[in-house]
Amino acid sequence: MKLIFTGILAALLATTAAKAEEMVFTSWGGTTQEAQTKSWAEPFTAASGIKVLQDGPTDYGKLKAMVDAGAVNWDVVDVEMDFAIKAAKDGLLEPIDFKAVPKADLDPRFTTDHAVGSFYYSFVLAWNKGAVSGEPAGWADMFDTKKFPGKRTFYKWSAPGVIEIALLADGVPADKLYPLDLDRAFKKLDTIKSDIVWWSGGAESQQLIASGEAAFGQLWNGRVFALEKDGADVGVSWAQNLTAADVLVVPKGAKNKDAAMKFLAAASSPVGQAKFAEASGYAPVNTKAKAEMAADVVKSLPDAHVDGQINLDMNYWAENRDAIATRWYAWQAK
Amino acid sequence: MSVETRQSFGIVRMPAGFGGLLPALILIALFFVIPVLALLLRSVTEPAPGLQNYATLLYDGTYARVFFNTFLVAAVVTAVTVLVAFPVAWMLAIMPSALASIVFGVIILSMWTNLLTRTYAWMVLLQRTGVINRTLIALGIVDQPLPLINNLTGVTIGMVYIMLPFMILPLVGTLRAIDPMTLRAAALCGASPFQAFRRILLPLSLPGIAAGGLMVFVMSLGYFVTPALLGGTSNMMLAEMIAQMIQSLLNWGLGSAAAFILLVVTIALYALQLRLVGPRRMSGGN
Repeated sequence: MKLIFTGILAALLATTAAKAEEMVFTSWGGTTQEAQTKSWAEPFTAASGIKVLQDGPTDYGKLKAMVDAGAVNWDVVDVEMDFAIKAAKDGLLEPIDFKAVPKADLDPRFTTDHAVGSFYYSFVLAWNKGAVSGEPAGWADMFDTKKFPGKRTFYKWSAPGVIEIALLADGVPADKLYPLDLDRAFKKLDTIKSDIVWWSGGAESQQLIASGEAAFGQLWNGRVFALEKDGADVGVSWAQNLTAADVLVVPKGAKNKDAAMKFLAAASSPVGQAKFAEASGYAPVNTKAKAEMAADVVKSLPDAHVDGQINLDMNYWAENRDAIATRWYAWQAK
Repeated sequence: MSVETRQSFGIVRMPAGFGGLLPALILIALFFVIPVLALLLRSVTEPAPGLQNYATLLYDGTYARVFFNTFLVAAVVTAVTVLVAFPVAWMLAIMPSALASIVFGVIILSMWTNLLTRTYAWMVLLQRTGVINRTLIALGIVDQPLPLINNLTGVTIGMVYIMLPFMILPLVGTLRAIDPMTLRAAALCGASPFQAFRRILLPLSLPGIAAGGLMVFVMSLGYFVTPALLGGTSNMMLAEMIAQMIQSLLNWGLGSAAAFILLVVTIALYALQLRLVGPRRMSGGN
């Protein structure tokens, strides 16, 4: 039965197989994928003649289904780094061919045997200046409903970030975060649960803060950068900003593996990374990229705020992803 | 569909009709029955053979709560939809037909607008800084924004709006088939308007309410977008949970089991309804 199902799926997927000198890039849609198309895919096609077809949004279930069915029609996929580490362990990814992808200048924090960094970002504390009196100084203020009343917004899904923020606010030192004390984190989160509005995507987080629907929240720095560019009256605190990354992976059995590796080389190159950073406000994973960028962009990146910066532990999350998620959603549903 | 066409379907003989059914049956077998069987198989084989996925779903407090939420939301939405739809359907049934077809058009038109667009529109209206709350505050009716979103209220408003046509359409069919003379007769016998409604109109329109109600209830059970956007995390419904298990946790065994339970419950409800109301009255006639 499984065989029949797999066969049908394979037949369906095979009908859309890409032709030679074409490859499919899949990402999350929206402004991020637009920036990736402009900064990576278009120059890459111009230089190599390889056509890059865009697909999306990234869906881990689909990725697994394709690999299981042996009919993979995504060649390069933008995924969260903790997923990439887990997926590599589960045999869902091709190893990166570092003969084709120069590794020397890539930030080792965001490079693995099966993934090359796409971009990295920080979770920062942002607020609507019209809705908050005073300036929140750090994560602890997000839990102080007396000093800072109003709704606060956090990332809805189980992912690196919110648990760490709760622990930091509760006084856990940055170097003692892992292994995460989930009981303590949820207890801390309980104290503000009724004041939390969850955001499930970047656009929603911007809308919540810009409208004052939430007075302040935990946002991706790129989204705050875009708000500031649009002239929204927002404040931002980089104190204990938390870095995480998206990475580019090649699903196991991808049909255009060679083209995919060439694409990865272009995307992670200094110029590719610099262009993407300028367009998105996210940080480059290539250490040489800064030299290619405008000075005011460099200033706005997480790279300019390494003081007190905390790297979310992707290996820990990859290991404990499912266990944390189970507790996370149970707590949310309560 | 008129009563005549339905009756003409009724006299078609089985063998003659069966050949024509074949393509549909093959399609359903290929794209519904086989995948459902694959789903069932997955739910008892992943990650290991056995019924542990079902045990987890039934005995773990979180999943039990999500099941409860799902049925609660579906029930509330169905009840409110009936209350809102009935007067509209009644009005449509007694209106001159030219006017009724315009109102019908407006109702159907709303179904053609993208679901996501409509849901986001509700977000704009319902949020704390939204149109409704701003207006209420400006008029001095409330001084704090009402919590209309990220809770059961938001889910109910958004879903009732989407479900209304599915309730109104079968209900109009039923109401139109009721002989208006019955109400006049009730009035002549001294019944107050309320009595006439409760003892004549309501019982006669029950098949339509049941048919529409079942459709709304079953559709609500599997709803995804609206609860995710207008509800809070404590209103999580089964469909959203299944999507998480499949898409992000890659726990396909548990997701399949949850999907299969939802399917079985839906079929059971349909079977119950069929027994209570009968297949012909289910389609909206009397």
